[in-house]
This record gives sequence, C-alpha cells and structure tokens, in this order.
Amino acid sequence: MSLEQTDGQKVYTNDDDSEEPEIDRGLFEAWAAKTIKNPKRTYKALFYTATIFFLVTTLFPFYWLFMVALTPRRNLQDVGLVPSGFDPSLLAQGDLTMGTNPGVFLEVFTIIPFHRYMFNSFVIATVTTIVVIIVASLAGYVFGRLRFPGKGPLMLLVLIVSFFPPAAFFIPLNDLFNTNIDILRPILADGSLYNTPYAMVVPFSAIFMPLSIFILTTFYSQIPDGLEDAARIEGTTRLGALFRVIMPLSAPGVATAGVLTFIAVYNEFFFSFLMTDGSADNWAPIVDGILQYQGQYEVLFNVMAAASIVGVLPVAILVVVAQEKIVSGLTAGALKE
Amino acid sequence: MGNVKLEHMTKRYDDVTAVDDMNLDIKDGEFVTFVGPSGCGKSTTMETIAGLTKPTEGTISISGRDVTNLPPKDRGISMVFQNIALFPHMDVFDNISFGLRLRKYDDEEIQRRVDRAADIVQLENMQDRMPEEMSGGQRQRVAIARAIVRNPDVFLMDEPLANLDAKLRVHMRTELQRLHKELDTTIIYVTHDQAEAMTMSDRIAVINAGKLQQIDPPLVCYNEPANLFVAGFIGSPSMNFIEGTITDNGFESEYVTVDFDPSTVGVTVGSSITLGIRPEDVYESSKAHTLADPTVAMPVTTDVLEPMGDEIFIYLLLSEAAETSMDTAQANDQLLMSTDPDSTLGEDEQLEVVLDRSKVHLFDTASGTAISHGIADPAVASESEAEPSTDD
Repeated sequence: MSLEQTDGQKVYTNDDDSEEPEIDRGLFEAWAAKTIKNPKRTYKALFYTATIFFLVTTLFPFYWLFMVALTPRRNLQDVGLVPSGFDPSLLAQGDLTMGTNPGVFLEVFTIIPFHRYMFNSFVIATVTTIVVIIVASLAGYVFGRLRFPGKGPLMLLVLIVSFFPPAAFFIPLNDLFNTNIDILRPILADGSLYNTPYAMVVPFSAIFMPLSIFILTTFYSQIPDGLEDAARIEGTTRLGALFRVIMPLSAPGVATAGVLTFIAVYNEFFFSFLMTDGSADNWAPIVDGILQYQGQYEVLFNVMAAASIVGVLPVAILVVVAQEKIVSGLTAGALKE
Repeated sequence: MGNVKLEHMTKRYDDVTAVDDMNLDIKDGEFVTFVGPSGCGKSTTMETIAGLTKPTEGTISISGRDVTNLPPKDRGISMVFQNIALFPHMDVFDNISFGLRLRKYDDEEIQRRVDRAADIVQLENMQDRMPEEMSGGQRQRVAIARAIVRNPDVFLMDEPLANLDAKLRVHMRTELQRLHKELDTTIIYVTHDQAEAMTMSDRIAVINAGKLQQIDPPLVCYNEPANLFVAGFIGSPSMNFIEGTITDNGFESEYVTVDFDPSTVGVTVGSSITLGIRPEDVYESSKAHTLADPTVAMPVTTDVLEPMGDEIFIYLLLSEAAETSMDTAQANDQLLMSTDPDSTLGEDEQLEVVLDRSKVHLFDTASGTAISHGIADPAVASESEAEPSTDD
C-alpha cells in the first residue's frame, strides 16, 4: 500500500517535471528553466550563496585558529584543515585527544599570566566604556535635545576628531604620557601616565567618543519632550531626567554605543601595544600577552592561537548577550515613529 | 496656599511674543481654565507656571513664594500632559510613585499614598500593569494619580482630555470635577474646547495672541464678554456680529436698526459700533410678547435650517441679495437664530424677527472693547453699564 503510494507520488512528480520533456537539457539549463518559472528559487539560491559565503569568510579564520591551537607543537609546520596528527582511530585506544593538543588552552595561562592580561584589557575596556557612555550621554543630550547657536558646526567638529587616524595622535601623546607631571605624583608613583591604564583609557575615550555621541544624539533626540518635562515636574533635574528616563528608554542605543566602544577598545592594537612596556603588572592588555609567546628562538603559534581564542571569548559572549539590543539599536536609530 | 500670581509675565522667542504682559491672580482652590485658539500662548503660559520655560520678563509666584527662577521640582506643582507622558519603562506603581521615590519617602508612606491616589482615580488592582497594556482612559487616570499623589499646591493640566475619544472625554470631565471637589486644590486647566471650559471652571481666562482678554466666571464671559474676541470665541455657534454706526436714534446698519438713546450707554453719535446678539436671543416676532423688552421687528428670509434635536439653527437673510456665507458671524446681512425644535419654519420663508434688547451687546468696532451689554428702550431708564475689563 505504502509502496504504491510512494510510486504514485513519484509518478506525479515525474509528471510535473515532464511538462516539457521534448527538449533535452543539461543540468544547468534545467535549473535555469525552473528558476525562470519560479523566480523565488533564484532569490533563495542567491540568499543561501551569499549567506554561506559570509559565514565561511567570517568563521573560517576562527576555525583555522582553532586548528592551529590544537596542533601539537612538533607538527606546527604542517597545519591543515584538521590538526596535523589528528587521528580518530586513537579514540579506540583510549586517547580522548585523538592526537591533538587541547592542553594548549591551559598552557596559555601557565607560560605567562595571561589571565592578568585579560583582566587588564577587561578593566581598560570597561572603564573606557563607562567614561564614554557617561560623557557621550551628556553630549548626546545637548546635541539631541537642546537648541543653541553653533550646534551644527560643533557636532561637525566632534565628528572631525574621529576622522583622524589614531597614529596622528600617538607621538605627542606618548611624549606627554612619558613626561613626569608633578601634580600627578600623589596618584601615580612617578607622575607619568606611561605604564598605567590611564595611558590607554584617556586616548581611547577620546577616539571612540564621537561615534557614541553620534549614536546617542540620534536616540536621545527621539524621546518625546513630554516625558522629560514630566520627569522634571515630578522632581528630577535635567540631569536626573537624562539618567532616569531618557537613558533607560534609549537602552538599545546605549547598548549599541557601549558594546561598540567595548569591542573597539578590547580589540585595539596600536595604543595598547605602545603605551606600556608589555608587562602584565604594568597594565599591558591582551595584545601584549599574546606577543609574549613569541620568543627569540621560537614562536609558539599554537599557544598564540589558543590565547587569541580565549581572548575573544568575552567579547563573543557580550555580543551574543547584547545582540538583540544591538540589532534593534543599529536599525531603530534610523526610524522615527 | 495654592494661589498663583503672574505679574507682567512676558515670554518672547526670537521673532514672536508668545505671551504679552500677562497678569493673573488665581486664588487657592480655584479651577481656572485657559482657553483660546491654537497658538494663542495658553500652553506657553502654563509652561512658564510649571517652570519648563523661563519668562522673558515678569514674575511668577506660587503660594506666595516667588518661583520665577526655581526649577519645576521645587515649585509645589504637578502636571498632567496632553500626551499623557507616562514613563513607558515603568509599571503603574513606579509611575505614580516616581516623584515620591525621588523625594526619598519611606516605602510604607509611598505604598499608602499610591494606594490612596489609585483609589481616587479608580485604578485598584492595576498597579503592576505596564502603560502599554492599558487603555487611553486608564493611562490618563494613571497620569492624574501621578499628579495628585504628591499633594501639590497647584495642578496644571495641559489639554489632558484632548487625546481621548468623545465619550471618554465627557466621562473624564465629570471625574475631574469630582476630583476637584474632593481635593479642593487649585487647578489650572488648558483647553481649546470651550465646552470643557464652560462646564468645569470657576473662572475662564480667555487668551488671544498672547494677551489675556478676560478672566471671569464662565457665565460672565458668556453674558458679558469684555470684547469682540471673547464674544465670538465663547459660545457655539458664535455670536452674530453686525457692523454699523450710532445715530441719534440708536444703532443703525444697512439692514438692522435698534433704537436706543446713545447717551444712556455712553457712545457718541457717529462712532462705529458692532452689535452682537447670540442666536438664542433672536426671536420670531410672534413670540415678541414673551420678551420684556424686544426691539422693533425686522423682515428676514430663512435660508438654511440646521435641526440639532433640542433646537434648530436657522440662517436668516436680511436682504434679498444675501447668500449664506461660511462665516455668519461676520456677515452684515445675515443672522443666525436658534429656535424651538417644534418650530414649523421651512426654508425660504418670509418672517419678522426681534432681538432681546437686554441681550444686545455693543462693541467699539475699532478696538473691539465692549461698550454695553443690554440696551434700554429709549423710553425706559438705562440699565446698568458693564465695566469693560480689557487690556488695550
């Protein structure tokens, strides 16, 4: 019975396909004919092609990194799509690693105090994000909600700051941060910012501020005036209304600005590499930590790869957690209700 | 406590004067309504009282305290907004208690006050709802609860019912009156809906072009308007206006003559006068005997009838050539008459009408100032002359 049915169905599908059976077509021609009859197939095919392309180009480096990390050190000259030395048959012999080297993820922390580098990066990124969000909120409030002469030119000036390559600021800043400033002595041992987190937090805050100001301006300007008025009548100051009403209502925008800033600082290389001497105790961030695996005679590529993966995890988690808000933040900013 | 005083309050923006030399004295517990057409400055006046905008000149005092330079939170006021302005990220309890929490009341006191406020506006068992889950009327009641929970000296209400549907608006109107009776707090209410103004207020402040035209109890504004603007703005449909001049025998225009002794109302012969008469004060001459003091009859032709159910509005043409224009009030050769619903008058009928002499208003055409409300028969002694209380 069921066999008959399957047969019947097959016959039916054959019928469908054989509407134009006279022409002998190649595979591609047949496909083209079908898509002409049903353009949605084309769009679908294009969509999958594009999606797969982007997924491969973005995810393959991570995959490669993972393979490099798992490759035992002796095989590092020979990294393939699977770690060299990978042999599933070893599993039968009780070797759970199957010839790879997952222990490298522990080596990351034993060779150098990589956790300290991660902590440094995390602190620097967090502090910068907080500074940026607070200051950019104030600026966003002013640009988004107040009317004053010279607003346009001032906003342009703020944006122009972000057009400069950070390298342009480096030499003067590095020079400045290496100068011993007497009034800083009570806070910093030698009165200079070099080898302190401030040497990174300060320039990062300035460099990544304009983008956040721009995002928050857009968001804050869309909160109805009535809500701010209501908050002020109920008992807040303008500042109180900003932090109690306007900011919570712009949560997607604040999350977007915050996450973008955090990621940008966390991933920053140039200043991070040059504003400290590279030792974990002097607040050197992750990038310095990874480079510590590069010795004079040997480069531990597998450990570097493992460290990179470990280092990227916090950001990946952050993005996954905040993803919904970021997406709505990036798109909602353009729309006005 | 709770009195509001504006002295020479002026608010100028770059190119416009929104409020011009406003003087107001609102007593404690009074329900005062600001009415006027859109853009007349009533909302700006309200905002300066609230402290959301600073006046360019003049002072504002609330409860005897000069608050001109105080921020809104220190003025002892609360406000209900036209767009309701509930905080969308907070539930009803948090919305109502927002001001109390900012003022660091203890939890018990907050709960007690919120419960009472919710009780007054009949919002029991809704304290954990979010604004988006509520209907328009419920949201409006939350906004009112938020305003009353702090026991302010003065309530400001900026067109709070404008966004509600007609039925709910009438209902909330009654609720607000009940609330005022219950709380006995000063309420300043802004609206462009004169039905709201007439029904709710102790006094109406009519504002036009940034200037206070008249502030008086609703019926005084209706019966004794201070000038042409108030006369035309209060009352629906609007008062009939007929421009003419004063002669020895009284008022005379192309089609309307009302005889009186000019000296009794203090107008000089030859001056330009606008006569105003409300539609309900125009009568068929057959009913003239019911009036104590009718004018002489004048012939008219009916044009268009508007039966409203409880009354009929009839457009009357004073001349053969006249046509009903959009704006009866401004046309010299037309009159709008309101009559009983059982009237048998049809269209294009000839009849004679009289005006109730005691309800005839005379205004100076140039300045618009009221000269007299009600005019005496030349034979009878003059009636009391109304004191015009205008500002120009």
